[in-house]
Amino acid sequence: MNAKKILALMLCAMMLLSLAACGAKDNDKQADMSGDSSAMTGEPKTAEEAFALHKELLERENALLSENAELWEKVFMAADKGMTMQEDGKNYGDFLLDTIEGAKDQFTDEEYEMLKESATEISNIENKLTELENKYPEIMQESIDGDMSVPAGSDMTNPPDDGSMQKFPAFEGKDLDGNPVKSDELFSANAVTVVNFWFTTCNPCVGELSELDALNKELAKKGGALIGVNTFTLDGDEAAISEAKDVLAKKGATYQNVYFDSDGEAGKFTTNIFAYPTTYVVDRSGNIVGEPIVGAITEKKQAETLQKLIEQALAADVG
Amino acid sequence: MGKKFSGVSQTMSRFRGWIQAGATLLTNLHLPNFLKGGLYQGAGKTVCVPGLNCYSCPAASGACPIGAFQAVVGSSKFSFSYYITGFLILLGVLLGRFICGFLCPFGWFQELLHKIPTKKLSTKKLRPLTYLKYAVLLVMVFLLPAFLVNDVGMGDPFFCKYLCPQGVLEGAIPLSLANSGIRAALGKLFTWKFSILLSVIVLSVVFYRPFCKWLCPLGAFYALFNRVSLFQMKVDKSKCVSCGKCARACKMDVDVTKTPNHTECIRCGMCIRACPTNAVCFRYGFGDGKEKENAATLRENNKA
Amino acid sequence: MSCGKKAAAQIALLMAGVAMLCFGVWRGEAATVLSKAIKLCLECVGIG
Repeated sequence: MNAKKILALMLCAMMLLSLAACGAKDNDKQADMSGDSSAMTGEPKTAEEAFALHKELLERENALLSENAELWEKVFMAADKGMTMQEDGKNYGDFLLDTIEGAKDQFTDEEYEMLKESATEISNIENKLTELENKYPEIMQESIDGDMSVPAGSDMTNPPDDGSMQKFPAFEGKDLDGNPVKSDELFSANAVTVVNFWFTTCNPCVGELSELDALNKELAKKGGALIGVNTFTLDGDEAAISEAKDVLAKKGATYQNVYFDSDGEAGKFTTNIFAYPTTYVVDRSGNIVGEPIVGAITEKKQAETLQKLIEQALAADVG
Repeated sequence: MGKKFSGVSQTMSRFRGWIQAGATLLTNLHLPNFLKGGLYQGAGKTVCVPGLNCYSCPAASGACPIGAFQAVVGSSKFSFSYYITGFLILLGVLLGRFICGFLCPFGWFQELLHKIPTKKLSTKKLRPLTYLKYAVLLVMVFLLPAFLVNDVGMGDPFFCKYLCPQGVLEGAIPLSLANSGIRAALGKLFTWKFSILLSVIVLSVVFYRPFCKWLCPLGAFYALFNRVSLFQMKVDKSKCVSCGKCARACKMDVDVTKTPNHTECIRCGMCIRACPTNAVCFRYGFGDGKEKENAATLRENNKA
Repeated sequence: MSCGKKAAAQIALLMAGVAMLCFGVWRGEAATVLSKAIKLCLECVGIG
């Protein structure tokens, strides 16, 4: 009888735990937003101070951007449709302000006010950053060397400021037509590279191929590219390559698909991926931006996350 | 001989909980993967396990027969799986629904839930629902994945995708706990399947094995083979006093004296323990094993 | 005798099962099962 009671209790606890698992999804994103407005004041005296201030300002900007991630995503989406992305060297905050103004009708008054406020602050931060960069040109150098080039969302697992940013593993492989592809050349030639891992019998992977192709064309305009890695084709398996090509052709996907040796660095990296499709965003210096996106980008949520990471990488590339 | 086997039957049904626990452990051997948030990726996954056990469970040591069937049928190369069907026929004849009663992890899960002390309800009046599982087997496992295909000839695993609660319990929940990327991917589908899991959990507390009775396509397949299975129930008519205790003890709503090899019988052996005269026992072997010939048939089988 | 008939049916089914299993493996179904089972089938477990 006693054993029965204990068992019942354990089961109840298990059920509660499994329920709790679903509730805890978003909480971690909200934390860590406060205590940094002091950075807006104060004049740095030395280069080190300037560097610290620069870093702090960048962090504040990223915090602002991740604070209302969903609203910003809307802004970014609006930006995609019409405007050119700060190619004229315009202040990023001003660009955001313009975009918000242009997409005004998509937001409630309250949201609009909030966005405008944040964008104004970003604009101020950007001005300050430019000022700092002009005064102390070495900051730019240092921040690039220190892997500061990617603005980070607060929910990233790799803190961006300690230099432990994860590199995408290097590879020397071929595309499905047999042309050689080198990872460092590929990444450095593009402001942002989206790497999509898939395999031929994976239904959701195949389902997103045509959307990925559209994304590749869109990225090409912004100086980016998308490549696919079909895990069946690793080591150049002839049959797998022809099957993959067949599926790609049927889905009208024309972007580059590459393969490499499975025992290399990138090969082992691929073996550790077990959920498909998984999509990585890589910046010009070969660093992975944000966390990999699990699941097909045919889902709205995944598409928005991907878009955000791409914007991050592009913004960092210009700045 | 008959008496001796009846002793074995008693022991087996008495220690059924432990056998179920052992089978669940064997089906999910790679326990450290729960913490790592990854899957076992070895060659063991070529072979199916007998019970309903998601192959996307981090610890799973083999493939789920229903999942594997849909994977083969849904691929663009094949529209029927001889490998899995053959395997299931083999298991169906060798063991039948003994698998449900003794080896299936999800069956065990439902039984554990049923041990929670609440008011229990009988499912006798809901008998027509038991035919639902054959429809699930035919439509969601056989037909839809094979024929409702996309432009490259691939079909969705309909049962796994829209119905199976085991996938959420063993796959989605532990993996999303251990892996933030997967947590971010949870969406509407997860909400739907999680509600199914919750309903099955709640129903399991008040009813005995609701999923096995009404929905499980694997149980449906084995049920079709219960009549010809080598693993059988045997009622010694000369010992039976027609007290009806066995039928009352049966939680799968079977009267073992009338239909010992009924499709719903999961060979749990509750009737064996309920019988005051030891008239009911398990029997393993070819043919029917007539009353008096019982021992002789068994001996023959041992030779063969 | 029904007993013999049942035994015959059982033997026939067992043989059919083994034959189907072998045929399936021969035409490469086992490899398909493995390739699916070692990867997380997102749509299967209800993620998405």
